[in-house]
Amino acid sequence: MASSSLDHTLTLDIPFETEAQASIAMRVLQPDPILRPQDFEVTYSTRGASLVVSVASVDDRVLRVGVSNIIDSIKTIVETADELSLQQ
Amino acid sequence: MVSPSALYTAPDVSEKRFTVDRSSEKYQTTNGRTTGPSAHVLGAGQIDVDRPSDPKLLSDGRTPTPLSILRMELTGLQDDINEFLTERMELAKNKKLKTQSQADEQRIDKEITKLLDGGDDDDDETKN
Repeated sequence: MASSSLDHTLTLDIPFETEAQASIAMRVLQPDPILRPQDFEVTYSTRGASLVVSVASVDDRVLRVGVSNIIDSIKTIVETADELSLQQ
Repeated sequence: MVSPSALYTAPDVSEKRFTVDRSSEKYQTTNGRTTGPSAHVLGAGQIDVDRPSDPKLLSDGRTPTPLSILRMELTGLQDDINEFLTERMELAKNKKLKTQSQADEQRIDKEITKLLDGGDDDDDETKN
């Protein structure tokens, strides 16, 4: 739950092919440490085959850096799954 | 497979939703506009060793795989979000500069008014 000062938020909805892929992506991302937890919070969850990323930040600058990094990581996960042809 | 989407909120704006337009070319590439080295750096001869790989194609050799489509759509969505937030950052910066400038003007006005009222002379008399 975001504290009151983290009032700039962005929620990403990433639809995968299967629930298993979305779950793998969530478990890959979850261990990533947050460098400035007082300025930036992120939670990962799944809804069916979708990965849901909820981000809260102290301002737009921190949000931009954090969200872009998260999307970069998700693209790497998607590319890896694609190369390995993870179908389950 | 449906497309990725995003929803932004902030205290001073109503919700901003980001969606993918599959007919637009910016959602059909793995090379983003707001990620990777700048055109200036590349023009100087730098080689982008982290360049994203091209989309993987199905056996027909033309159609991208569903996960490659997702990666391309994420790339376009990332550009949209980055450009929107960069614009918001510029607005916030300009607002801050304007506020600072107004504060400076008020301070100078106050000092001039004080001088015109003879405040400076009073100080001199006190010292003497």
